[in-house]
Amino acid sequence: MQNRDSIKTAVKGIIHGKLRSLLTILGIVIGIGSVILLMSIGDSAKQVILGQVQGVGSNLLFAVPGGSSGGRFSAPASSQGVVIKTLVQGDVDSLKREPTILAVAPLVTGQGRVISELNDVQTTFIGSNEDFFAVRNLVIDRGYKFTREDVDSLIQVAIIGPTIAETLFGEMDPIGKTFRMKNTTFRVVGISEKKGVGPLGIDEDSMIIIPVTVAQKKILGTDYYNLILMQAGDSYDVNFVKERAVSVLRQNHRITDPNKDDFTIHTQQESLELLGSITSIMTIFLTAIACISLVVGGIGIMNIMLVSVIERTKEIGLRKAVGATNKDILQQFLWESVILTGVGGIIGIISGILFNAVIYFVLIYIVKTNWVFSLPPSAIGIAFVVSTLTGVAFGIYPAREAARKSPIESLRYE
Amino acid sequence: MIELKNISKDYIDGESITSALKNVNFKIEKGEFVSIMGPSGSGKSTLLHILSLFDRPTAGEYFFNVEDTSTLSDEQLAHLRNKTMGFVFQAFNLLGRSPVFENVELPLLYSDIPKDQRNAVVLKAVDSVGLSGKLNVECGHLSGGEKQRVAIARALVNDPDLIFADEPTGNLDSKSGAQVMSILHDLNEQGKTIILVTHETYTAQFAKRLIQLKDGEIISDGAIKERRNAKDEFIK
Repeated sequence: MQNRDSIKTAVKGIIHGKLRSLLTILGIVIGIGSVILLMSIGDSAKQVILGQVQGVGSNLLFAVPGGSSGGRFSAPASSQGVVIKTLVQGDVDSLKREPTILAVAPLVTGQGRVISELNDVQTTFIGSNEDFFAVRNLVIDRGYKFTREDVDSLIQVAIIGPTIAETLFGEMDPIGKTFRMKNTTFRVVGISEKKGVGPLGIDEDSMIIIPVTVAQKKILGTDYYNLILMQAGDSYDVNFVKERAVSVLRQNHRITDPNKDDFTIHTQQESLELLGSITSIMTIFLTAIACISLVVGGIGIMNIMLVSVIERTKEIGLRKAVGATNKDILQQFLWESVILTGVGGIIGIISGILFNAVIYFVLIYIVKTNWVFSLPPSAIGIAFVVSTLTGVAFGIYPAREAARKSPIESLRYE
Repeated sequence: MIELKNISKDYIDGESITSALKNVNFKIEKGEFVSIMGPSGSGKSTLLHILSLFDRPTAGEYFFNVEDTSTLSDEQLAHLRNKTMGFVFQAFNLLGRSPVFENVELPLLYSDIPKDQRNAVVLKAVDSVGLSGKLNVECGHLSGGEKQRVAIARALVNDPDLIFADEPTGNLDSKSGAQVMSILHDLNEQGKTIILVTHETYTAQFAKRLIQLKDGEIISDGAIKERRNAKDEFIK
């Protein structure tokens, strides 16, 4: 039997059992649609997260307190909730003197209740210095940034995000207005540019940035930093700058054994790689979950095909009587399952893309996040190959059962 | 055309062995019209299955067109069946939801006749049974007699030398039955070999030769002296 006739016969078999075929296809549509959707969401999330890290600034290095115990990506103790006080003002001063480093911004963060004449709200504040705005690519929409003098003189000024500005002052112009946080009064001198809600739910537009000295001495009562951000000089290789920064801090902390470092420095590239690997694992995990529904769809195919083989026993006997070989029968039933999964795969790919687009529009226009639309070609390729393989894998057993049938028994079957 | 030498067929069910055929010997020459008759359990269905290459004997030799069929693979047997044999069954065995054309075309799908020649071959076969006007009618909507004529057209479409008819009138009224026998009669006149399997003496008498079976053995084999004329029966 020629392949064309085999396919034609298979298509007729599918059309004759319309409802059965539709239900079978539905299982595959859901499976493939889920694979496409989750792979796309995983890829979008990866792009958004990496984009945010890149958006923080360029050529950045991050120094965090506490040493990392092992591998390249081992988490420092400070990231696990342990308070480590090893990064201090002396380190910032030394790093500023290092010629390969363009800017140094120490950071402290905290949560506080903020009270204005209109409202009071719990929010996150960042304490940093005048370099913070350049290092973070933070644009001031209105007003001005605080200066080195403001920082050194413990001037109680604040740059606030557009969302918190609206919360605290409504339709009034916030510039020049004051608010209180932990018994300290701050004057708003600038409004940062709107950035939107990040994919991890961090609303940068609701943050308050105050001079690090004020944050440490008047609010937190500490003298150490949670993080030091550094921007490498344009003409220097970031890894070289990292080596220099490490050397400066070791000298400051009188460390001779590198295994006893009480700080950790990561480059932006290393953070991107780490985040990239985390999001890739997340995507693989999501895809694996989607594959479960594909397996369920495949079992559906096998079930339906086995029923179909039993229902069409007489037809199989007849075909064998008029000259069909075992191979012809095997091919016919295998084509049926491959066509069912192929059609299901194509509809699944289209549905996956459509749902992906719907999610994009919802996240962008309703939830208002910085989501990106992503449709990795590999997702479509994988979905199509997997759907066809599902057809073959789950269709082969019923097809073999059909091919094995004795023509005599089949013709007698009632 | 057909030569059976000491053909036996045993069915084993657990520890019990049933001998369906015992040392069957006969020859059928090209152009013969043979009835194989016997009561239920006589072995006629088993014999038909062996003759039509659906089943292999337990012992003995079956030569088809001088070729020993025991040396052929299942695939070769399928091809041989497709090229040289046509089948008419008591239960018609048509694809009920497919039109007449597709049912008649079925054996051609497994033959080497090119696609562009199939149309003409199918039309000729359908025309020979007088159903040209019902080419696109689904077989499920035809009368019993028409269904059997479609089955005959399907049996003829590959222009086989040999046609097996297994109780072809069993599900038909007497008029349709006579019409079917008349068609088989004509086909025999045109040179086709017909092997008719039946348990009815009346139907068996349309053939030229009668082989009678009982308990798996041939009890008689000879020409039918008072042969019924299918043409006359149909006209009546």
